[in-house]
Amino acid sequence: MPVPILKQGGVLIASIQTAVTDQDLVQLQDDLADKVGRFRSGGVVIDVSALDVMDSFATRMLRNLAHTLKMRGATTVIAGIQPDVAFAMVELGLTLDGILTALDLEEGFDMVATPSREDDHGVG
Amino acid sequence: MASDQVTLQGVIDYDIDRRKRFVDFKPEDTSRIAAIKEMIERHADEHAAAFFNYLSQFEEAAALFRNPDMLREVKRLKHEHLLAMVSGDYGKAYIEQRVLLGALYSRAGLDSRVFLGAFHQLMQSIGRKIAEMFARDAQAALQHFASVNKIGFMDIGIIVDVLVAERERIIRTQEKAILELSTPALQIRDRLLMLPIIGLLDSMRAKQLTDNLLHSIRASRAKVVVMDITGVAAVDSKVANHLIQTVTAARLMGTQVIVTGLSAEVAQSLVALGVDLSKINTVGDLQGGIEEAERILGYKIVGGSEPAAQRARL
Repeated sequence: MPVPILKQGGVLIASIQTAVTDQDLVQLQDDLADKVGRFRSGGVVIDVSALDVMDSFATRMLRNLAHTLKMRGATTVIAGIQPDVAFAMVELGLTLDGILTALDLEEGFDMVATPSREDDHGVG
Repeated sequence: MASDQVTLQGVIDYDIDRRKRFVDFKPEDTSRIAAIKEMIERHADEHAAAFFNYLSQFEEAAALFRNPDMLREVKRLKHEHLLAMVSGDYGKAYIEQRVLLGALYSRAGLDSRVFLGAFHQLMQSIGRKIAEMFARDAQAALQHFASVNKIGFMDIGIIVDVLVAERERIIRTQEKAILELSTPALQIRDRLLMLPIIGLLDSMRAKQLTDNLLHSIRASRAKVVVMDITGVAAVDSKVANHLIQTVTAARLMGTQVIVTGLSAEVAQSLVALGVDLSKINTVGDLQGGIEEAERILGYKIVGGSEPAAQRARL
């Protein structure tokens, strides 16, 4: 099943809801790279909170995706990695270095929606 | 190993005369046992066989029979015990021998109920021989058997003590493990967790700690975690690696981790070991770590030591 992509202001949201095949991820990369240009989006949030498995291929795809979108002018945030998934990823040495991560969709959205995303976006 | 010696020592050191008093062991019992000593020694193998044959039919004792080395040792000690039982000398050496055998039973996971049943078979086997010996004097047979029985009950007392001591030792070990394993993640502000780590950090505990932290992050939606390792006795490359893993896993969930409490010695030894902590945000002490976390979260401390001191004076 292809991953649906939603547009919310200047942000694209791709919510991975079910277990996806490798083909779906390749498709997602193509779609996002295309839509980021078309909608002139500044940020992309990929919500993976429904995934309970994150293998090396998926991790590599997400990393490639983030780098591709960066070149297209958008910042990517991976949101909602589950505790057990995070733990398994670390054990496998899949650390997603240099890629933004967020606790959940809301958090990730805030990170890319505000222009000064490097600054504080907490309570203050 | 050291701790199990300590608890078993308590069983050995228990007053032998008290043990004898408990089973009403009297001087005349010693002389009666002396009278049947030679007969029991002659049939020691048969009595031991009664014990082991009975034991072998229960699956509760199967572990013992699966281990030939242990079984050989237990049989040797049992034979020794039978001879010691009628030796008339029930001193410290006798108790030690019993404790040694009891510890073996415990290690073999022998069920105390099964042991008691088998021990009864052994006593019956002895009883039958005594009955044969005093075939014409039932009164004497009963008296002699009662004397041996007293020693038998004393033995049971010791074995039960050993089994209980062994179980207590296991409970203590587990309690210690649980105590060491529990590492609470404390919420000190909205979206700010603190994780004080105290004690030894091995892979098992590091795993549990990471798991616990990640779930706490999820539950409290933490944005920043201050991990204080002042209480970690030794930080070597292995421990550092565990810490890096924990920090990386938290980062995958979108949470920043600040590590505090790296002492001067620890920092120097980590540099000497060539451990790369550059990916980890480290701050000297816990106070600094919390201040840094508050800065990240956008908290501003209003007032300071001056106004506080003034308020105190008023």
